[in-house]
Amino acid sequence: MTSTSPTEQSGTHVAPQADHGDPARTWLGRIAEGRAWLFLAGLIICFEVWSRLSFGATFMLNPFNVQSIAIFAVAPLLLATGQTFVIISGGIDLSLGFIMGLAAVVAAHATNMAGAVIPLPLAMLAGILAAVIVAGVPGVINGLLISRLRVPPFIGTLGMFGVARGVAFLLAGGTTVPVQNSWFALLGNGRFYGVPYLVIIAAVFVVVMHYILSQTRFGQHNYAIGANVQAARRAGIDIRGHTLRLYVLSAMCAGLGGALYAARFTAGAAQAGEPLLLDSVAAVVIGGASLFGGSGTIFGTVAGALVIAVIQYGLVFVNVEPFWQFIAVGFVIIISVLIDQAQRRFSGARQDE
Amino acid sequence: MKKIVAALAALAICATALITPALAQDKKFTVALVPGLTTDGFYITMRKGAQAAADALGVNLVFQGASDFNPVTQVPVLDAVIAKKPDAILIAPTDKVQLVEPLRKANDAGIPVITVDTFIGNGVYQTGAGEADFPLSYIASDNILGGEIAARALAKAIGDKGKVYVSNVKPGISTTDQREEGFKKEMAANHPGITVLETQFNDDDANKAASQLQAMFARNSDLVGVFGANLFSAIGAANGVKQAGQSGTIKVVAFDAPVSIADNINSGLVDVAIAQHPAEIGYFGVVSAYAHLTGQSIPVEIGTGFTIMDKSNIADPNISKYLYSE
Amino acid sequence: MNSSEQTTPLLEVRNLSKHFGAVRALNDFSMVVRPGEVVALAGDNGAGKTTLIKAISGVFQPTGGEILLRGQPVTFATPHEAREKGIETIYQDLALADNLSIGANIFLGREPMRKAFGFLPVLDRKAMAVAAKQTMGRLDFHVSRLDAPVSNFSGGQRQAVAIGRAVYWDAQILIMDEPTAALGVPEQRKVISLIHQLKAQGRGVIFISHNLQDIFAVSDRIVVLRRGVQAGDRKISETNHDEVVKLMVGG
Repeated sequence: MTSTSPTEQSGTHVAPQADHGDPARTWLGRIAEGRAWLFLAGLIICFEVWSRLSFGATFMLNPFNVQSIAIFAVAPLLLATGQTFVIISGGIDLSLGFIMGLAAVVAAHATNMAGAVIPLPLAMLAGILAAVIVAGVPGVINGLLISRLRVPPFIGTLGMFGVARGVAFLLAGGTTVPVQNSWFALLGNGRFYGVPYLVIIAAVFVVVMHYILSQTRFGQHNYAIGANVQAARRAGIDIRGHTLRLYVLSAMCAGLGGALYAARFTAGAAQAGEPLLLDSVAAVVIGGASLFGGSGTIFGTVAGALVIAVIQYGLVFVNVEPFWQFIAVGFVIIISVLIDQAQRRFSGARQDE
Repeated sequence: MKKIVAALAALAICATALITPALAQDKKFTVALVPGLTTDGFYITMRKGAQAAADALGVNLVFQGASDFNPVTQVPVLDAVIAKKPDAILIAPTDKVQLVEPLRKANDAGIPVITVDTFIGNGVYQTGAGEADFPLSYIASDNILGGEIAARALAKAIGDKGKVYVSNVKPGISTTDQREEGFKKEMAANHPGITVLETQFNDDDANKAASQLQAMFARNSDLVGVFGANLFSAIGAANGVKQAGQSGTIKVVAFDAPVSIADNINSGLVDVAIAQHPAEIGYFGVVSAYAHLTGQSIPVEIGTGFTIMDKSNIADPNISKYLYSE
Repeated sequence: MNSSEQTTPLLEVRNLSKHFGAVRALNDFSMVVRPGEVVALAGDNGAGKTTLIKAISGVFQPTGGEILLRGQPVTFATPHEAREKGIETIYQDLALADNLSIGANIFLGREPMRKAFGFLPVLDRKAMAVAAKQTMGRLDFHVSRLDAPVSNFSGGQRQAVAIGRAVYWDAQILIMDEPTAALGVPEQRKVISLIHQLKAQGRGVIFISHNLQDIFAVSDRIVVLRRGVQAGDRKISETNHDEVVKLMVGG
């Protein structure tokens, strides 16, 4: 802190440090908080230099690359935003990958069925709506298991992972379900002044989720529950109701992810989200959330998802042996968690005044 | 030529097997089919072929497998199947090495093993050499040949010159490894104008396959083709082509043909699809097992065929019947 | 504080009993707390202190007896109801969300909202910070960094936040369970002075402690529990350590 600053003396000035539960203002806290963006910046610089030295080509100043990375990050990011809420509350949602697959299959079927009776743009909306609503069902079950029957989130959502997966495969009949709807395909692959619709949708979605997490009671209670569930209960917060809404919210994020997957690949596939689940958890952790709950931000998660996308895209771009991708992402996760631990140790011991 | 001989031999055992049920048939045989995974159109179609043969021969077919392609989940299913002592096991092993010992247990228990689609060891059985020669037969599409066919189709589509690469799942899967091997072999031997770039592995994630295509294109603006070694590799790469605005310029050859591939071909997303004949594999698997159980000898290798699908022939019912259906 | 109120007890507990099956955790217990009075509750482990405060704060329903608030009989189905009537319990583990600011903790569960851009409801962090500053000021506790999470503060400061929350919501009776137990000596002093502040504001405090030093430093009266029954009720000015210890152990 710069104690020489005159505004500090007044003591009355309240920084509208709005985005979450008011961060520790130690420098280490700030680094921990913004670490995902620092990683991102470092990675981009690293790839830029690498690319220029090896190939004499720019990496990040090439709009094609920016666009490709953005599209790449959309699906894991949608899962990761819901996961951010869950992880902040101290839980984890392992069912998101297959809820996304379920939603993709439902979106494909519903869009096709609706397309037979109503105009295509409406059928598209019906398909998306159906996907999000159907995705909510396993969310409700997750929420009830965890809040009413006190099943630990890890186990409850693991069970739901199996159920959603089975239902998705049954609905899909073990194959991919093609979508016949030109509007839906346009949504998944079209552009608005060069910006893919998918990226626009994801950006709007992220802003809305950021608002919910940082500016509503729901978000505030989510942080409180993650830090101290007893305190939250004693403060009169309806923990059960909150938990239920929380898992429905995260399932619906995956539902939207599934619908957009179906739009992009013009097909619903039950296994669509399977490889994305761990990436979603990784994005949240790289983004600065603690798996112990109580901390994390949506914009951190955005950076986390971009870090993963940049590594995976960048290593292909600079032509590195593919297996290094796993190693690189693994390292970033470990470093990220180490910074989180260090920050905790220091700020935990820190006494003010 | 060897393939044709093998196919004829297969037809011959079919004929004898189909003629003889009345003779040897006091006991109803039970044959277990353990697929690579239960939730894939390919194996579901294979099961239909196997069921057709089982019905014709009066064999009881049991279909049991894990829901993902992984030895860790397949082995317990296999153990449970062995415990029920079927008369024969047809299996698509999920790993060349890791399934050897689990399958040896079946063999030691006197249950004949036939591998379908994928193999253990090097896929050459009954030679007395090596640890994994005990299965009686390997019945599959010749995936090296499939890779070669894909290479020829792609070469033709791109005018025999330019840069291409293989979009693959992950290393260690015998079938996709062989497709890649066949593809590269054919390109190196007969298409000197074509450069094959580094293979990209996507973990069966279409999103990642798409991103990899975009990155490859960003680095190699003269990229003209991609071979997707399985369904998700192909539709992912195809979407990458679309996102990169290169539809029509970068040609996509897909291996495998679920029903959705027909739409992809019609919409121009995928240029060529190589369909295997999984129903044939299942059919010959059951027939071979039955032949063995009734005292006939069977060939150690049966190669089933491929169908090449593109815009010009996909509407033909003789072609589209090879789409993998539910 | 209005002197005429001095005579009406803020809280009166009459013949309160709580049985768990055959176990009589609390038996026929009575006590009063007057405005501006600090009553210490002493007793060995298992003497029934926890049962008593849980009955008063609505966690348990008493088996028998009654609770009167300003002379009116009351029953609490939940802790929430007790809090609504002005009885606030401050637990040893403080019940704070460590990752939130003082203001956010004070308002936890009843956050003030405002409209951004005239339509969008958002948390009114400014109002929370202002209230936090005022409330902490009333406790003579001054903090310059109102946006910092409470995990950054010391044990005594956090105790002050928990008390501040009760004060902000106008609790008339504060039940404090071992508020000094986990603190260093300077911090203990700070809490003792906080209790003096509450007393000066005319609130009633029930103070549970093992530490007789603290009890004698801050309390007006001491009520001793032994095996679920009231073993003594003394004015601090008329008793001493030895007598209290005897009452506790039944010597």
